[in-house]
Amino acid sequence: MHILRHLQSDRAVGLLFIAPFVITALFFMVYPIAEAIRMAFYSYNPLRPDLTAFVGLANFEYIFEDPLFWASFWQATVWTLLSILFQTVFGVGLALLLHRALFGMAFFRGLLLFPYIVPTVVIALIWRWIFNPEIGVVNYSLIASGIIKEPIYWLSTPAMAMASTIMLNVWKYTPFVVICVLARLQSVPLELYDAAKVDGAGTMRRFFDVTLPQLKEVLIVVIVFRTIWTFNKFEEIYLLTKGGPGTSTFNLAVYSFEQSMASLRLGVGAATGVVMMIILLIGSIVYLRVAGFGENEK
Amino acid sequence: MNSASTLWKTVKNAMLYLILCVVTFLICFPLIWALSTSLKPKSEIFATPPTLIPHNLTLENYEALLTGRQQYYQAQGAPQNTGTTPAQFFTRWFINSVIVTLGSTLISIAVSTLAAYSLTRFRYWGRSAVPYFSLLGYMVPSIIFVFPLFLMMVRLDLTDSLWSLILGYVCITLPFCMWLMWAFMRSIPIEIEEAALIDGASRYQVFRQIVLPSALPGIIAASIFAMIVSWNDYLFGRVFINSIDNLTLTVGVMLFFEGTHVDWGLLMAASVLMTVPMAILFMALQRHLVAGFGAGAVKG
Repeated sequence: MHILRHLQSDRAVGLLFIAPFVITALFFMVYPIAEAIRMAFYSYNPLRPDLTAFVGLANFEYIFEDPLFWASFWQATVWTLLSILFQTVFGVGLALLLHRALFGMAFFRGLLLFPYIVPTVVIALIWRWIFNPEIGVVNYSLIASGIIKEPIYWLSTPAMAMASTIMLNVWKYTPFVVICVLARLQSVPLELYDAAKVDGAGTMRRFFDVTLPQLKEVLIVVIVFRTIWTFNKFEEIYLLTKGGPGTSTFNLAVYSFEQSMASLRLGVGAATGVVMMIILLIGSIVYLRVAGFGENEK
Repeated sequence: MNSASTLWKTVKNAMLYLILCVVTFLICFPLIWALSTSLKPKSEIFATPPTLIPHNLTLENYEALLTGRQQYYQAQGAPQNTGTTPAQFFTRWFINSVIVTLGSTLISIAVSTLAAYSLTRFRYWGRSAVPYFSLLGYMVPSIIFVFPLFLMMVRLDLTDSLWSLILGYVCITLPFCMWLMWAFMRSIPIEIEEAALIDGASRYQVFRQIVLPSALPGIIAASIFAMIVSWNDYLFGRVFINSIDNLTLTVGVMLFFEGTHVDWGLLMAASVLMTVPMAILFMALQRHLVAGFGAGAVKG
């Protein structure tokens, strides 16, 4: 009898402990996401809530016919692919460098991971300052060293604005790749290298035949993960260029924000969000596949 | 042969150090340059050639931010009155940022720690689905739910208050805190707790005296991530807050760009002051941060 009572009250404790999470999650995760999907089927202007009306798929028809939506989509794709490419190459290179057991490596590791914690607002401000065409230190150094003759207008020409946002993104998120790769490198069995050395493999061969195959798994996961995230980035672009000049650095997140905030078409913004979620879902399925979920419980 | 190979090793190490120093310098250069600019007087900021180490060190930019300078200054030093300046609100915004960061982190950590304990120590329907559901929620970018949340805050009459931001940041930090705490709790052996329960300790005693101390590294890692996300956020602050008094640092500092003057010294000083709290946190708790990355708790 005593044991039964104990179990009952114990079960109550368990439910009591999970209750705050369930309530918070319902209010602040499930509800907003459900609402975001619902809004995509409504015409909604926050200043005229009385005019709210169900419009079916009209918001989706609107965005699919909007050239700016497709421009944003392709710009986001270019932005993502180039960002991921550079992040991966630099990330692996830096991780290999940091993996060496040299004196003072902990110090360098700390410094090189630093960009990850710098607020995006701060990076955007610093970028605007050092890439300023007239008074920025980057143009000054490039001109002084004779690499360029005329100042480069980093943030006011479409191609350069895109390049600048990519640089910002690569600078900020390469540490993430470094950390993941470094963790994996530390678990590569040293015997593999010894065996390769005995077989007379040089540095390059050892990298391509031993290191890279060992890193394959972690790299796939990191790349898929970063691709999903980079594609939907908002602040990295908006704070540096506001999507400009013109709309040349718009991605879907900026497009959605501008539709909701500037044009007050919350329904259109929400429909863009739904498209982003579908892309995200496809990405996640790819992620779960390559991460091997479902095959064996990790 | 032997001395030749030692020599070769020394040269190789020296080369590696050289590469490492150059790379580190390049990566840290934007931050170094921001620090350098923030310590220069107006006249030196625009000097050609630019100086990396300021000739005339000054703290005037920091002083202007911390005391709330009321005027804009032009390059030649002539004051110009243009009404309120962002510098006047800097300390206010700083305090707002601290409040919302600590508030939301506290809630997220408390809720997720309790939930993780429950999920790993009790049996009930749906308990194995919750962490994965959380993981899914944490993949969704904030741009998607910022407007529904805003409309919710309007109905709750919380817009333009720091509460809206605290709740908003709970919503973006809770999913990965939950995931991380669950992964961490799962790895803590359950035997000591069972022994204590058999000895007659209550669940609450066990939780306070055994589980919390052993979960501390996980709690620290989750807190760092939650704090970084909340402190660095721009979007929620931009959408939720209207009045200049209630802004957080990230949104407020972008106001320095309004008007015709961009005071780069002031902006760089603001950037440095915004980075310092996270930098201190990062340096003090770096070990745990790496552990957190390992558990897959990375939003960014």
